[in-house]
Amino acid sequence: MTRERRMAGWALPVASLALVVLAVVSLSVGDLHLPLPKVWAGLRRTDPWAATIVWQLRMPRLVVAILVGAALSSAGLVMQAFFRNSLASPGLLGVSTGGAAGAVMSIAFGWAAISLWCLPVSAMIGAFVAMAAVLAFARRGASTEGLILAGLALNALLGAVTGYFLCRHTDVFDRNAQMVFWLMGGMEDRTWTHVLIASPIVVAAMFVWPLGRPMDLLSLGQAEAQSLGVDVRRLRRQLLVLSTVLTAAATAVSGAVGFVGLIVPHILRLTIGPEHKRLLPLSLVGGAAFVVGCDLVCRLVGGLPLGIVTALIGGPYFLWLLQRQR
Amino acid sequence: MAAPTATVAALEVFGATVPGRIESVSVSLPAGQLIGLVGPNGSGKSTLLQVAAGLLPGGNVRWAGEPLEKIAMLERGRRASWVPQEIRFEFGFSVRSVVGQGRFAFGDDGRGIDDAIARLDLNHLADRPVDRLSGGERQRVLLARSLVTEAPLYLWDEPLAALDIRHALQVLVLARELAGRGATVLLSLHDLRLVEKLDQVVALDAGKLRATGTPSAVLTAEFLRSVFGVLASRSPGLTLELP
Repeated sequence: MTRERRMAGWALPVASLALVVLAVVSLSVGDLHLPLPKVWAGLRRTDPWAATIVWQLRMPRLVVAILVGAALSSAGLVMQAFFRNSLASPGLLGVSTGGAAGAVMSIAFGWAAISLWCLPVSAMIGAFVAMAAVLAFARRGASTEGLILAGLALNALLGAVTGYFLCRHTDVFDRNAQMVFWLMGGMEDRTWTHVLIASPIVVAAMFVWPLGRPMDLLSLGQAEAQSLGVDVRRLRRQLLVLSTVLTAAATAVSGAVGFVGLIVPHILRLTIGPEHKRLLPLSLVGGAAFVVGCDLVCRLVGGLPLGIVTALIGGPYFLWLLQRQR
Repeated sequence: MAAPTATVAALEVFGATVPGRIESVSVSLPAGQLIGLVGPNGSGKSTLLQVAAGLLPGGNVRWAGEPLEKIAMLERGRRASWVPQEIRFEFGFSVRSVVGQGRFAFGDDGRGIDDAIARLDLNHLADRPVDRLSGGERQRVLLARSLVTEAPLYLWDEPLAALDIRHALQVLVLARELAGRGATVLLSLHDLRLVEKLDQVVALDAGKLRATGTPSAVLTAEFLRSVFGVLASRSPGLTLELP
Protein backbone atom coordinates (compact mmCIF):
# COMPACT_ATOMS: atom_id res chain seq x y z
CA MET A 1 0.00 0.00 0.00
CA THR A 2 2.75 2.44 0.88
CA ARG A 3 4.50 1.31 -2.28
CA GLU A 4 1.34 2.05 -4.24
CA ARG A 5 1.09 5.49 -2.71
CA ARG A 6 4.70 6.20 -3.56
CA MET A 7 4.13 5.05 -7.13
CA ALA A 8 0.95 7.11 -7.40
CA GLY A 9 2.78 10.42 -7.43
CA TRP A 10 5.23 9.28 -10.06
CA ALA A 11 2.98 7.32 -12.36
CA LEU A 12 1.36 10.21 -14.24
CA PRO A 13 4.59 12.16 -14.93
CA VAL A 14 6.33 8.93 -15.98
CA ALA A 15 3.47 7.92 -18.28
CA SER A 16 3.33 11.42 -19.78
CA LEU A 17 7.05 11.42 -20.40
CA ALA A 18 6.82 7.98 -21.99
CA LEU A 19 4.01 9.19 -24.24
CA VAL A 20 6.02 12.22 -25.39
CA VAL A 21 9.14 10.17 -26.09
CA LEU A 22 7.18 7.49 -27.94
CA ALA A 23 5.34 10.16 -29.92
CA VAL A 24 8.58 11.81 -31.03
CA VAL A 25 10.10 8.46 -31.96
CA SER A 26 7.00 7.45 -33.90
CA LEU A 27 7.21 10.66 -35.92
CA SER A 28 10.79 9.82 -36.80
CA VAL A 29 10.56 6.08 -37.48
CA GLY A 30 9.01 4.54 -40.56
CA ASP A 31 9.77 3.34 -44.06
CA LEU A 32 11.74 6.52 -44.36
CA HIS A 33 13.78 7.37 -41.31
CA LEU A 34 13.66 11.03 -40.34
CA PRO A 35 16.40 12.15 -37.95
CA LEU A 36 15.15 14.37 -35.12
CA PRO A 37 16.24 17.70 -36.68
CA LYS A 38 14.28 16.73 -39.79
CA VAL A 39 11.23 15.90 -37.66
CA TRP A 40 11.53 19.33 -36.07
CA ALA A 41 11.90 20.99 -39.46
CA GLY A 42 8.86 19.05 -40.66
CA LEU A 43 6.83 20.07 -37.66
CA ARG A 44 7.64 23.73 -38.32
CA ARG A 45 7.07 23.18 -42.04
CA THR A 46 10.48 24.66 -42.89
CA ASP A 47 11.30 21.51 -44.89
CA PRO A 48 8.40 20.84 -47.27
CA TRP A 49 9.36 17.21 -47.87
CA ALA A 50 9.67 16.41 -44.16
CA ALA A 51 6.54 18.43 -43.50
CA THR A 52 4.55 16.22 -45.88
CA ILE A 53 5.75 13.06 -44.14
CA VAL A 54 5.19 14.43 -40.66
CA TRP A 55 1.90 16.23 -41.17
CA GLN A 56 0.24 14.08 -43.83
CA LEU A 57 1.41 10.58 -42.91
CA ARG A 58 2.76 10.20 -39.41
CA MET A 59 0.95 12.82 -37.37
CA PRO A 60 -2.60 11.61 -38.16
CA ARG A 61 -1.52 8.06 -37.43
CA LEU A 62 0.04 9.16 -34.15
CA VAL A 63 -3.03 11.17 -33.12
CA VAL A 64 -5.34 8.27 -33.96
CA ALA A 65 -3.14 5.92 -31.91
CA ILE A 66 -3.22 8.33 -28.95
CA LEU A 67 -7.00 8.72 -29.12
CA VAL A 68 -7.62 4.99 -29.53
CA GLY A 69 -5.31 4.07 -26.65
CA ALA A 70 -6.81 6.66 -24.34
CA ALA A 71 -10.35 5.67 -25.31
CA LEU A 72 -9.97 1.92 -24.96
CA SER A 73 -8.17 1.98 -21.65
CA SER A 74 -10.49 4.54 -20.06
CA ALA A 75 -13.52 2.67 -21.41
CA GLY A 76 -12.09 -0.50 -19.86
CA LEU A 77 -11.62 1.26 -16.53
CA VAL A 78 -15.21 2.49 -16.64
CA MET A 79 -16.55 -0.98 -17.43
CA GLN A 80 -14.51 -2.50 -14.60
CA ALA A 81 -15.98 -0.04 -12.10
CA PHE A 82 -19.45 -0.47 -13.61
CA PHE A 83 -19.39 -4.25 -13.31
CA ARG A 84 -17.31 -4.29 -10.13
CA ASN A 85 -14.99 -6.69 -11.84
CA SER A 86 -11.41 -6.16 -12.89
CA LEU A 87 -11.90 -8.61 -15.76
CA ALA A 88 -14.48 -6.48 -17.56
CA SER A 89 -13.41 -5.00 -20.89
CA PRO A 90 -14.82 -2.39 -23.30
CA GLY A 91 -16.13 -5.12 -25.58
CA LEU A 92 -18.12 -6.88 -22.87
CA LEU A 93 -21.48 -5.54 -23.99
CA GLY A 94 -20.99 -6.16 -27.72
CA VAL A 95 -20.04 -2.64 -28.76
CA SER A 96 -16.77 -3.56 -30.46
CA THR A 97 -18.29 -6.66 -32.06
CA GLY A 98 -21.05 -4.40 -33.36
CA GLY A 99 -18.43 -2.09 -34.79
CA ALA A 100 -16.66 -5.05 -36.39
CA ALA A 101 -19.89 -6.31 -37.95
CA GLY A 102 -20.62 -2.85 -39.37
CA ALA A 103 -17.13 -2.52 -40.80
CA VAL A 104 -17.11 -6.00 -42.32
CA MET A 105 -20.48 -5.36 -43.96
CA SER A 106 -19.26 -2.12 -45.46
CA ILE A 107 -16.29 -3.98 -46.94
CA ALA A 108 -18.46 -6.86 -48.12
CA PHE A 109 -20.94 -4.62 -49.90
CA GLY A 110 -18.18 -2.57 -51.45
CA TRP A 111 -19.12 0.65 -49.65
CA ALA A 112 -15.69 0.86 -48.12
CA ALA A 113 -14.22 1.42 -51.58
CA ILE A 114 -16.51 4.40 -52.28
CA SER A 115 -15.13 6.80 -49.68
CA LEU A 116 -12.76 6.92 -46.75
CA TRP A 117 -15.73 7.77 -44.55
CA CYS A 118 -17.81 4.70 -45.33
CA LEU A 119 -15.99 2.08 -43.32
CA PRO A 120 -15.56 3.98 -40.06
CA VAL A 121 -19.08 5.33 -40.25
CA SER A 122 -20.49 1.83 -40.80
CA ALA A 123 -18.43 0.62 -37.85
CA MET A 124 -19.77 3.46 -35.74
CA ILE A 125 -23.34 2.62 -36.76
CA GLY A 126 -22.77 -1.05 -35.91
CA ALA A 127 -21.38 -0.10 -32.51
CA PHE A 128 -24.29 2.22 -31.77
CA VAL A 129 -26.86 -0.38 -32.83
CA ALA A 130 -25.25 -2.71 -30.30
CA MET A 131 -25.31 0.06 -27.70
CA ALA A 132 -28.98 0.80 -28.40
CA ALA A 133 -29.80 -2.87 -27.85
CA VAL A 134 -27.93 -2.89 -24.54
CA LEU A 135 -29.49 0.38 -23.38
CA ALA A 136 -32.96 -0.82 -24.26
CA PHE A 137 -32.26 -3.88 -22.19
CA ALA A 138 -30.83 -1.83 -19.30
CA ARG A 139 -33.86 0.46 -19.31
CA ARG A 140 -36.04 -2.49 -18.42
CA GLY A 141 -34.11 -2.58 -15.17
CA ALA A 142 -31.81 -5.44 -15.99
CA SER A 143 -29.43 -6.53 -13.26
CA THR A 144 -25.68 -6.51 -13.69
CA GLU A 145 -25.74 -10.22 -14.48
CA GLY A 146 -28.57 -9.66 -16.95
CA LEU A 147 -26.52 -7.03 -18.75
CA ILE A 148 -23.48 -9.29 -18.96
CA LEU A 149 -25.57 -12.13 -20.35
CA ALA A 150 -27.22 -9.79 -22.85
CA GLY A 151 -23.72 -8.67 -23.86
CA LEU A 152 -22.66 -12.29 -24.34
CA ALA A 153 -25.67 -12.98 -26.55
CA LEU A 154 -25.09 -9.81 -28.54
CA ASN A 155 -21.42 -10.62 -28.96
CA ALA A 156 -22.29 -14.07 -30.28
CA LEU A 157 -24.95 -12.72 -32.63
CA LEU A 158 -22.81 -9.94 -34.07
CA GLY A 159 -19.81 -12.25 -34.24
CA ALA A 160 -21.94 -14.57 -36.34
CA VAL A 161 -22.79 -11.70 -38.71
CA THR A 162 -19.09 -10.93 -39.08
CA GLY A 163 -18.29 -14.60 -39.62
CA TYR A 164 -21.00 -14.92 -42.26
CA PHE A 165 -19.62 -12.10 -44.40
CA LEU A 166 -16.10 -13.36 -43.88
CA CYS A 167 -17.12 -16.78 -45.27
CA ARG A 168 -19.26 -15.39 -48.07
CA HIS A 169 -16.39 -13.40 -49.51
CA THR A 170 -13.56 -15.89 -49.41
CA ASP A 171 -13.63 -15.81 -53.24
CA VAL A 172 -12.91 -12.08 -53.37
CA PHE A 173 -9.41 -12.11 -51.98
CA ASP A 174 -9.04 -8.34 -51.67
CA ARG A 175 -12.12 -7.88 -49.59
CA ASN A 176 -11.45 -10.91 -47.49
CA ALA A 177 -7.94 -9.76 -46.67
CA GLN A 178 -9.23 -6.29 -45.88
CA MET A 179 -11.75 -7.77 -43.44
CA VAL A 180 -9.17 -9.94 -41.73
CA PHE A 181 -6.77 -7.03 -41.32
CA TRP A 182 -9.51 -4.81 -40.02
CA LEU A 183 -10.53 -7.44 -37.48
CA MET A 184 -6.99 -7.52 -36.13
CA GLY A 185 -6.85 -3.77 -35.80
CA GLY A 186 -4.27 -1.38 -37.12
CA MET A 187 -3.14 2.16 -37.69
CA GLU A 188 -1.94 1.94 -41.29
CA ASP A 189 -2.77 4.81 -43.60
CA ARG A 190 -4.83 6.68 -41.05
CA THR A 191 -5.63 10.23 -42.15
CA TRP A 192 -6.98 13.43 -40.65
CA THR A 193 -10.43 12.14 -41.64
CA HIS A 194 -9.94 9.32 -39.15
CA VAL A 195 -8.83 11.81 -36.52
CA LEU A 196 -12.05 13.71 -37.12
CA ILE A 197 -14.11 10.54 -36.81
CA ALA A 198 -12.33 9.69 -33.54
CA SER A 199 -12.79 13.18 -32.10
CA PRO A 200 -15.85 12.28 -29.95
CA ILE A 201 -13.27 10.49 -27.80
CA VAL A 202 -11.99 13.86 -26.57
CA VAL A 203 -15.49 14.95 -25.56
CA ALA A 204 -16.31 11.65 -23.84
CA ALA A 205 -13.00 11.72 -21.97
CA MET A 206 -13.82 15.19 -20.66
CA PHE A 207 -17.16 13.95 -19.37
CA VAL A 208 -15.66 10.85 -17.76
CA TRP A 209 -12.94 12.83 -15.97
CA PRO A 210 -15.04 14.17 -13.05
CA LEU A 211 -16.78 10.85 -12.44
CA GLY A 212 -13.78 9.27 -10.73
CA ARG A 213 -14.96 9.75 -7.17
CA PRO A 214 -18.50 8.36 -7.58
CA MET A 215 -16.92 5.50 -9.56
CA ASP A 216 -14.94 4.61 -6.42
CA LEU A 217 -18.15 4.19 -4.48
CA LEU A 218 -19.94 2.37 -7.29
CA SER A 219 -17.08 -0.07 -7.66
CA LEU A 220 -17.71 -1.26 -4.10
CA GLY A 221 -21.43 -1.86 -4.53
CA GLN A 222 -24.49 -0.25 -6.09
CA ALA A 223 -26.78 -0.17 -3.08
CA GLU A 224 -23.92 0.89 -0.83
CA ALA A 225 -23.02 3.75 -3.18
CA GLN A 226 -26.63 4.89 -3.36
CA SER A 227 -26.95 4.90 0.39
CA LEU A 228 -23.88 7.15 0.58
CA GLY A 229 -25.52 9.72 -1.69
CA VAL A 230 -24.54 8.63 -5.22
CA ASP A 231 -27.33 8.85 -7.81
CA VAL A 232 -26.54 5.34 -8.95
CA ARG A 233 -29.06 5.06 -11.78
CA ARG A 234 -27.88 8.26 -13.35
CA LEU A 235 -24.21 7.43 -12.86
CA ARG A 236 -24.59 3.98 -14.40
CA ARG A 237 -26.39 5.42 -17.41
CA GLN A 238 -23.68 8.02 -17.87
CA LEU A 239 -20.93 5.45 -17.60
CA LEU A 240 -22.63 3.10 -20.04
CA VAL A 241 -23.09 5.81 -22.66
CA LEU A 242 -19.60 7.27 -22.23
CA SER A 243 -17.81 3.95 -22.39
CA THR A 244 -19.82 3.06 -25.49
CA VAL A 245 -18.94 6.31 -27.23
CA LEU A 246 -15.27 5.79 -26.35
CA THR A 247 -15.27 2.20 -27.58
CA ALA A 248 -17.33 2.89 -30.69
CA ALA A 249 -15.17 5.80 -31.83
CA ALA A 250 -11.98 3.84 -31.18
CA THR A 251 -13.24 0.75 -32.98
CA ALA A 252 -14.41 2.82 -35.93
CA VAL A 253 -10.95 4.14 -36.70
CA SER A 254 -8.65 1.37 -35.54
CA GLY A 255 -10.51 -1.88 -36.05
CA ALA A 256 -10.89 -4.40 -33.31
CA VAL A 257 -7.84 -3.81 -31.11
CA GLY A 258 -8.15 -6.25 -28.27
CA PHE A 259 -6.65 -6.43 -24.83
CA VAL A 260 -5.83 -2.73 -24.33
CA GLY A 261 -9.03 -2.00 -22.43
CA LEU A 262 -8.62 -5.02 -20.21
CA ILE A 263 -4.96 -4.90 -19.48
CA VAL A 264 -3.98 -1.23 -19.22
CA PRO A 265 -6.45 -0.32 -16.44
CA HIS A 266 -5.61 -3.54 -14.65
CA ILE A 267 -1.87 -2.88 -14.81
CA LEU A 268 -2.34 0.70 -13.64
CA ARG A 269 -4.52 -0.43 -10.74
CA LEU A 270 -1.87 -2.90 -9.65
CA THR A 271 0.67 -0.10 -9.82
CA ILE A 272 -1.04 2.81 -8.07
CA GLY A 273 -4.08 1.31 -6.33
CA PRO A 274 -7.79 1.49 -7.11
CA GLU A 275 -8.65 5.19 -6.61
CA HIS A 276 -10.38 6.27 -9.81
CA LYS A 277 -9.59 9.94 -9.43
CA ARG A 278 -5.97 9.05 -10.09
CA LEU A 279 -6.65 6.07 -12.34
CA LEU A 280 -8.74 7.97 -14.88
CA PRO A 281 -6.12 10.50 -16.02
CA LEU A 282 -3.45 7.85 -15.83
CA SER A 283 -5.45 5.42 -17.95
CA LEU A 284 -5.94 8.10 -20.62
CA VAL A 285 -2.23 8.87 -20.79
CA GLY A 286 -1.01 5.33 -20.12
CA GLY A 287 -3.40 3.80 -22.65
CA ALA A 288 -2.26 6.33 -25.26
CA ALA A 289 1.41 5.57 -24.55
CA PHE A 290 0.75 1.81 -24.72
CA VAL A 291 -0.96 1.94 -28.11
CA VAL A 292 1.56 4.41 -29.58
CA GLY A 293 4.34 2.08 -28.39
CA CYS A 294 2.63 -1.00 -29.81
CA ASP A 295 2.04 0.75 -33.13
CA LEU A 296 5.72 1.62 -33.20
CA VAL A 297 6.56 -2.05 -32.75
CA CYS A 298 4.14 -2.91 -35.56
CA ARG A 299 6.06 -0.67 -37.92
CA LEU A 300 9.50 -1.79 -36.79
CA VAL A 301 8.76 -5.47 -37.33
CA GLY A 302 7.19 -4.81 -40.70
CA GLY A 303 3.47 -4.37 -40.56
CA LEU A 304 2.15 -6.75 -37.94
CA PRO A 305 -1.50 -6.00 -37.11
CA LEU A 306 -1.82 -3.87 -34.00
CA GLY A 307 -4.18 -6.27 -32.21
CA ILE A 308 -1.54 -8.99 -32.33
CA VAL A 309 1.19 -6.74 -30.94
CA THR A 310 -0.96 -5.39 -28.08
CA ALA A 311 -1.64 -8.96 -26.99
CA LEU A 312 1.95 -10.14 -27.51
CA ILE A 313 3.39 -7.31 -25.41
CA GLY A 314 0.58 -6.94 -22.92
CA GLY A 315 0.09 -10.63 -22.18
CA PRO A 316 3.52 -11.54 -20.83
CA TYR A 317 3.88 -8.25 -18.95
CA PHE A 318 0.53 -8.85 -17.34
CA LEU A 319 1.50 -12.39 -16.32
CA TRP A 320 4.74 -11.11 -14.84
CA LEU A 321 2.87 -8.47 -12.86
CA LEU A 322 0.36 -11.01 -11.55
CA GLN A 323 3.18 -13.30 -10.53
CA ARG A 324 4.89 -10.49 -8.63
CA GLN A 325 1.69 -9.55 -6.83
CA ARG A 326 1.48 -12.84 -5.01
CA MET B 1 -36.11 7.13 26.25
CA ALA B 2 -36.37 10.01 23.83
CA ALA B 3 -37.55 13.39 24.90
CA PRO B 4 -41.35 13.51 24.73
CA THR B 5 -41.12 16.78 22.78
CA ALA B 6 -39.92 14.86 19.70
CA THR B 7 -43.23 14.59 17.90
CA VAL B 8 -41.97 13.90 14.39
CA ALA B 9 -40.97 10.28 13.90
CA ALA B 10 -37.40 9.74 12.69
CA LEU B 11 -38.51 6.99 10.33
CA GLU B 12 -41.95 6.12 9.08
CA VAL B 13 -42.74 3.31 6.69
CA PHE B 14 -46.32 2.89 5.48
CA GLY B 15 -47.55 -0.29 3.90
CA ALA B 16 -44.17 -1.52 2.71
CA THR B 17 -44.80 -4.34 0.26
CA VAL B 18 -42.25 -6.20 -1.81
CA PRO B 19 -43.92 -9.17 -3.49
CA GLY B 20 -42.76 -12.46 -2.05
CA ARG B 21 -40.77 -10.80 0.73
CA ILE B 22 -42.77 -8.40 2.88
CA GLU B 23 -46.44 -7.46 2.93
CA SER B 24 -47.88 -4.13 4.10
CA VAL B 25 -45.47 -3.53 6.92
CA SER B 26 -45.86 -0.17 8.65
CA VAL B 27 -43.61 1.13 11.38
CA SER B 28 -43.00 4.50 12.97
CA LEU B 29 -39.82 5.00 14.97
CA PRO B 30 -39.14 7.91 17.30
CA ALA B 31 -35.88 9.83 17.32
CA GLY B 32 -33.17 9.02 19.82
CA GLN B 33 -33.89 5.34 20.19
CA LEU B 34 -32.03 2.13 19.69
CA ILE B 35 -34.38 -0.30 18.00
CA GLY B 36 -33.94 -3.96 17.20
CA LEU B 37 -35.45 -5.67 14.18
CA VAL B 38 -35.95 -9.36 14.86
CA GLY B 39 -37.49 -12.31 13.10
CA PRO B 40 -36.59 -15.76 11.83
CA ASN B 41 -34.55 -16.26 8.64
CA GLY B 42 -36.44 -15.04 5.60
CA SER B 43 -38.92 -13.01 7.62
CA GLY B 44 -38.10 -9.85 5.63
CA LYS B 45 -35.74 -7.94 7.92
CA SER B 46 -33.20 -7.02 5.21
CA THR B 47 -35.98 -6.15 2.78
CA LEU B 48 -37.64 -3.81 5.26
CA LEU B 49 -34.30 -2.11 5.97
CA GLN B 50 -33.71 -1.64 2.24
CA VAL B 51 -37.16 -0.16 1.73
CA ALA B 52 -36.59 2.12 4.71
CA ALA B 53 -33.25 3.19 3.22
CA GLY B 54 -34.87 3.99 -0.12
CA LEU B 55 -32.90 1.29 -1.91
CA LEU B 56 -35.92 -0.84 -2.80
CA PRO B 57 -39.23 0.56 -4.02
CA GLY B 58 -42.31 -0.70 -2.24
CA GLY B 59 -43.87 1.65 0.26
CA ASN B 60 -44.17 5.18 1.47
CA VAL B 61 -41.15 6.15 3.49
CA ARG B 62 -40.62 9.34 5.44
CA TRP B 63 -37.44 10.44 7.12
CA ALA B 64 -38.08 12.97 9.90
CA GLY B 65 -41.47 13.64 8.40
CA GLU B 66 -40.23 14.28 4.87
CA PRO B 67 -41.29 11.94 2.07
CA LEU B 68 -38.26 10.12 0.70
CA GLU B 69 -38.98 10.97 -2.93
CA LYS B 70 -38.64 14.66 -2.07
CA ILE B 71 -35.12 14.19 -0.73
CA ALA B 72 -32.36 14.54 -3.35
CA MET B 73 -29.95 11.65 -3.76
CA LEU B 74 -26.94 13.44 -2.34
CA GLU B 75 -28.97 14.69 0.62
CA ARG B 76 -30.07 11.12 1.36
CA GLY B 77 -26.41 10.28 1.92
CA ARG B 78 -26.39 12.79 4.75
CA ARG B 79 -29.74 11.90 6.27
CA ALA B 80 -29.51 8.14 6.64
CA SER B 81 -26.85 5.49 6.57
CA TRP B 82 -27.52 1.90 5.57
CA VAL B 83 -25.06 -0.92 6.17
CA PRO B 84 -25.52 -4.22 4.33
CA GLN B 85 -25.35 -7.59 5.98
CA GLU B 86 -22.21 -8.53 4.12
CA ILE B 87 -20.13 -7.21 1.29
CA ARG B 88 -17.56 -8.49 -1.14
CA PHE B 89 -14.90 -5.93 -1.98
CA GLU B 90 -13.59 -6.42 -5.51
CA PHE B 91 -10.94 -3.73 -5.43
CA GLY B 92 -8.17 -3.18 -2.92
CA PHE B 93 -9.07 0.24 -1.57
CA SER B 94 -7.42 0.91 1.78
CA VAL B 95 -9.55 0.72 4.91
CA ARG B 96 -9.05 4.44 5.46
CA SER B 97 -10.19 5.25 1.94
CA VAL B 98 -13.35 3.14 2.25
CA VAL B 99 -14.22 4.73 5.59
CA GLY B 100 -13.63 8.11 3.94
CA GLN B 101 -16.32 7.32 1.37
CA GLY B 102 -18.83 8.00 4.13
CA ARG B 103 -18.05 11.68 3.61
CA PHE B 104 -18.90 11.59 -0.10
CA ALA B 105 -22.14 13.49 0.43
CA PHE B 106 -20.21 16.16 2.32
CA GLY B 107 -17.77 16.89 -0.49
CA ASP B 108 -15.19 14.47 0.90
CA ASP B 109 -14.18 16.81 3.70
CA GLY B 110 -12.49 13.97 5.57
CA ARG B 111 -14.18 14.78 8.88
CA GLY B 112 -14.26 12.18 11.61
CA ILE B 113 -12.45 9.48 9.66
CA ASP B 114 -9.65 8.94 12.15
CA ASP B 115 -12.08 8.87 15.06
CA ALA B 116 -14.31 6.32 13.35
CA ILE B 117 -11.32 4.12 12.53
CA ALA B 118 -10.21 4.21 16.16
CA ARG B 119 -13.74 3.68 17.40
CA LEU B 120 -14.22 0.50 15.40
CA ASP B 121 -10.79 -0.76 16.46
CA LEU B 122 -9.34 -0.52 12.95
CA ASN B 123 -6.17 1.49 13.64
CA HIS B 124 -3.83 -1.38 12.90
CA LEU B 125 -5.70 -2.11 9.65
CA ALA B 126 -6.08 1.46 8.38
CA ASP B 127 -3.71 1.06 5.44
CA ARG B 128 -4.66 -2.52 4.57
CA PRO B 129 -6.53 -3.24 1.34
CA VAL B 130 -10.14 -4.11 2.13
CA ASP B 131 -10.21 -7.09 -0.22
CA ARG B 132 -7.88 -8.94 2.16
CA LEU B 133 -9.86 -8.54 5.37
CA SER B 134 -11.82 -11.13 7.28
CA GLY B 135 -15.62 -11.01 7.43
CA GLY B 136 -15.71 -9.37 10.84
CA GLU B 137 -13.09 -6.81 9.86
CA ARG B 138 -15.06 -5.95 6.72
CA GLN B 139 -18.15 -5.48 8.85
CA ARG B 140 -16.31 -3.05 11.11
CA VAL B 141 -15.06 -1.10 8.09
CA LEU B 142 -18.66 -0.72 6.88
CA LEU B 143 -19.78 0.40 10.34
CA ALA B 144 -16.94 2.93 10.52
CA ARG B 145 -17.98 4.24 7.09
CA SER B 146 -21.54 4.53 8.36
CA LEU B 147 -20.38 6.32 11.50
CA VAL B 148 -18.57 9.11 9.63
CA THR B 149 -21.79 10.11 7.86
CA GLU B 150 -23.05 11.47 11.22
CA ALA B 151 -26.54 10.74 9.89
CA PRO B 152 -29.58 11.13 12.12
CA LEU B 153 -30.82 7.71 11.00
CA TYR B 154 -28.82 4.49 10.96
CA LEU B 155 -30.15 1.34 9.31
CA TRP B 156 -27.80 -1.53 10.03
CA ASP B 157 -28.46 -5.00 8.66
CA GLU B 158 -27.08 -7.56 11.10
CA PRO B 159 -24.12 -5.43 12.17
CA LEU B 160 -23.16 -7.97 14.83
CA ALA B 161 -23.42 -11.14 12.77
CA ALA B 162 -19.76 -11.46 11.86
CA LEU B 163 -18.30 -9.88 14.99
CA ASP B 164 -16.65 -11.52 17.97
CA ILE B 165 -18.35 -10.90 21.30
CA ARG B 166 -16.12 -8.01 22.36
CA HIS B 167 -16.57 -6.11 19.13
CA ALA B 168 -20.29 -6.90 19.12
CA LEU B 169 -20.69 -5.40 22.59
CA GLN B 170 -18.60 -2.39 21.54
CA VAL B 171 -20.88 -1.81 18.57
CA LEU B 172 -23.92 -1.92 20.84
CA VAL B 173 -22.30 0.63 23.15
CA LEU B 174 -21.59 2.78 20.10
CA ALA B 175 -25.18 2.46 18.90
CA ARG B 176 -26.39 3.45 22.36
CA GLU B 177 -24.18 6.54 22.22
CA LEU B 178 -25.57 7.50 18.82
CA ALA B 179 -29.09 7.17 20.17
CA GLY B 180 -28.10 9.23 23.18
CA ARG B 181 -27.07 12.01 20.81
CA GLY B 182 -30.54 11.97 19.27
CA ALA B 183 -29.97 9.65 16.34
CA THR B 184 -32.21 6.69 15.60
CA VAL B 185 -30.54 3.33 15.17
CA LEU B 186 -32.52 0.47 13.66
CA LEU B 187 -30.52 -2.74 13.56
CA SER B 188 -31.50 -6.25 12.75
CA LEU B 189 -30.11 -9.01 14.90
CA HIS B 190 -30.47 -12.68 15.62
CA ASP B 191 -29.12 -12.95 19.11
CA LEU B 192 -32.28 -12.36 21.12
CA ARG B 193 -30.26 -12.30 24.35
CA LEU B 194 -28.84 -8.93 23.24
CA VAL B 195 -32.27 -7.48 22.55
CA GLU B 196 -32.76 -6.55 26.18
CA LYS B 197 -30.14 -3.84 25.75
CA LEU B 198 -32.39 -2.06 23.21
CA ASP B 199 -35.23 0.43 23.65
CA GLN B 200 -37.70 -1.14 21.28
CA VAL B 201 -38.19 -4.23 19.19
CA VAL B 202 -39.86 -4.58 15.81
CA ALA B 203 -40.66 -8.22 15.12
CA LEU B 204 -41.32 -9.64 11.67
CA ASP B 205 -42.58 -13.07 10.80
CA ALA B 206 -43.11 -14.44 7.30
CA GLY B 207 -43.01 -10.97 5.76
CA LYS B 208 -45.55 -9.47 8.15
CA LEU B 209 -45.24 -7.23 11.16
CA ARG B 210 -45.90 -9.28 14.28
CA ALA B 211 -45.25 -6.88 17.11
CA THR B 212 -43.57 -3.66 18.17
CA GLY B 213 -42.83 -2.50 21.68
CA THR B 214 -40.33 -2.75 24.47
CA PRO B 215 -38.22 -5.93 24.51
CA SER B 216 -39.89 -7.32 27.61
CA ALA B 217 -43.34 -6.64 26.23
CA VAL B 218 -42.64 -8.23 22.87
CA LEU B 219 -40.38 -11.14 23.64
CA THR B 220 -42.74 -13.14 25.79
CA ALA B 221 -42.35 -16.88 26.11
CA GLU B 222 -45.48 -17.40 24.08
CA PHE B 223 -44.23 -15.08 21.33
CA LEU B 224 -40.83 -16.78 21.16
CA ARG B 225 -42.52 -20.11 20.86
CA SER B 226 -44.95 -19.14 18.12
CA VAL B 227 -42.56 -17.02 16.00
CA PHE B 228 -39.19 -18.62 16.56
CA GLY B 229 -40.27 -22.05 17.69
CA VAL B 230 -38.12 -22.02 20.82
CA LEU B 231 -38.77 -22.44 24.51
CA ALA B 232 -37.54 -19.50 26.55
CA SER B 233 -36.34 -19.74 30.12
CA ARG B 234 -34.32 -17.45 32.34
CA SER B 235 -31.39 -19.11 33.99
CA PRO B 236 -28.14 -17.75 35.36
CA GLY B 237 -26.04 -18.71 32.36
CA LEU B 238 -22.80 -17.14 31.13
CA THR B 239 -23.12 -13.35 31.00
CA LEU B 240 -20.61 -11.29 29.04
CA GLU B 241 -20.04 -7.57 29.47
CA LEU B 242 -17.32 -5.14 28.44
CA PRO B 243 -14.82 -4.54 31.26
